[in-house]
Amino acid sequence: MSLRRVLIANRGEIAIRIARACGEAGIETVAVYSDADAGAPHTLAADRAVRIGPAAPSESYLNIPALLDAARAAHADAIHPGYGFLSERAAFATACDEAGLVFIGPTADTIARMGSKIGARALMEAAGVPVVPGLTPEDQSDAGILAAVTRIGYPALVKASAGGGGKGMRALHAKDHAAEMIAAARREAQSAFGDGTLYVERLVERPRHVEIQIFGDAHGNIVHLFERECSVQRRHQKVIEESPSPAIVPSVRARMGDAAVAAARAVQYRNAGTVEFLLEGSGESARFYFLEMNTRLQVEHPVTEAVAGVDLVRAQLAVAAGEPLPWTEDALSQRGHAIECRVYAEDPANGFLPQAGPLLLYSEPTGPGIRVDAGVLEGGDVPVTYDPMLAKLVVWAETRTAAIDRGIAALRRYPVLGIRTNIPFLIRVLDHPRFRSGEVHTGFIDQHLEELIAQPAPSPAAAALAAAAVGPTFRSGATRSGVDDADSPPDAWTTLTGWGR
Amino acid sequence: MAEHLQLRSGDVDFRIEIRDGVILVDGTAVETPRQAWSVADGDTRWVFLNGEVFEFEVQRQGRRKPAAHHASLSAPMPATVLRINVAPGDTVTRGATLLVLEAMKMELPVRAPGDGVVTAVSCREGDLVQPGTPLIEMDE
Repeated sequence: MSLRRVLIANRGEIAIRIARACGEAGIETVAVYSDADAGAPHTLAADRAVRIGPAAPSESYLNIPALLDAARAAHADAIHPGYGFLSERAAFATACDEAGLVFIGPTADTIARMGSKIGARALMEAAGVPVVPGLTPEDQSDAGILAAVTRIGYPALVKASAGGGGKGMRALHAKDHAAEMIAAARREAQSAFGDGTLYVERLVERPRHVEIQIFGDAHGNIVHLFERECSVQRRHQKVIEESPSPAIVPSVRARMGDAAVAAARAVQYRNAGTVEFLLEGSGESARFYFLEMNTRLQVEHPVTEAVAGVDLVRAQLAVAAGEPLPWTEDALSQRGHAIECRVYAEDPANGFLPQAGPLLLYSEPTGPGIRVDAGVLEGGDVPVTYDPMLAKLVVWAETRTAAIDRGIAALRRYPVLGIRTNIPFLIRVLDHPRFRSGEVHTGFIDQHLEELIAQPAPSPAAAALAAAAVGPTFRSGATRSGVDDADSPPDAWTTLTGWGR
Repeated sequence: MAEHLQLRSGDVDFRIEIRDGVILVDGTAVETPRQAWSVADGDTRWVFLNGEVFEFEVQRQGRRKPAAHHASLSAPMPATVLRINVAPGDTVTRGATLLVLEAMKMELPVRAPGDGVVTAVSCREGDLVQPGTPLIEMDE
């Protein structure tokens, strides 16, 4: 069976990425859009585009009946969910199956089993994949909890069994005051969740977030495509990803790869997926623990594509059509170093507040080893309704240092004006001595926030540029004073007429 | 014929004179760097220079903002008010978290733009607010 026409149930850069891979594979594409995205770049990247509903995600990109109707109307035979939205909803995979559409991803059963955190943890333990040691002691007295802490070892985390959000949570670093802290955790758990049951877990200090790309086919083949280091995060969202990880030596990489393949095998994994681990320490003594499995294509997949020299989306299409994996484990290797920077419409100096508005000037860097996957065009409008990620800059070079230098140079040639973005922030992260030396952990941004958001004072040269500024190129008749239509940014259709400079 | 312009970025002012195609900043001729980008949006000027972004405002005569001013903080997007940390009369310092919004599944702290006194809180926890809705008024 081969795929003939794929409906892309997503928007932005990932919808464009998928449309390109389909085009190269000779597969027709159908884009979908909400009212907020009429004329958006992703609708222009596909062979045809179908409206699926109003701006609210629940009425459009999360609306399963509307997507299935669009697929039927456009005579699509497969659906690619991208990432986010419905990509990890087992119900969507099931609905596609029932409608006779190929869901480009794992089976509904796999998605459901990995979607439950507790279930996934039990499944991984049974498969021999290391998990963060932890238990709910049967003896819930102070002495019973303390005994469990001693068994797990310090530092340990005592937390409410019934919930999260940091309530009823205490970090125990030594036996001193342990009893008081256990009692306090129980009181908080009781008042916050009405249940004082405590869970005891090993505290992983200054952990790294390292994940392994895996890929399976319908013939029982499963490979891993090495790691991605994703420790640089803000608000638990990744900002910069790279491969290889500066903390991983070959022996640890081999063990993590084996663990990830074992995890995938435990659920008969098919298509692209990612096994996330917490990594403690570095070098030969590094320890890793299963965190969760993402049953979809990741935002940061281009990092793996760059170092492994593969096309993951093209492979997704092949595997979904029933073909065997295009690679064997032995044929795969890592070459050079790749770094991805996520360009967000946000204001790092103001709590990373998402920004919406017109892109008055937008110009992407080009050159050797530079890839930009973007979902926007100059003259377009960044809506308030969706994720504020505008684009991903992915650089590749022979060494990590060269990749960092290339990333900084590329970002300095990546002007985005009209709304605030994190581009200056990304440059400061890449150029930070701790980042350059590879000493990152998930608390890196919080720890160095002050220096990372510090802005230099405007120079006379900047003021001269401001004085010489003219209105946006895409606005016809824009004058030097530029007082014309600041309140009505044009849509992408009007923009396209003045395009091609 | 010389053209005169007053520009402000943050709390830094620049006096610009453009004479025969030469730009003078505070009286000194400045050559504009080549690897740089700028765009005008009404009286707002955006500059991208060496990876840094600067926002300037053209200062019109008689419309210059006084040093001490009144700030109205509004919602940047449709959001839910998660927590309010201040009440009218509170003295706050620049950067203090005044309230926390939730949008796009993320918590968004709204911080004080400068030192000042909160004069009004016009939302309640749990409110759904639209872009532009005033949330907090303060005098700086």
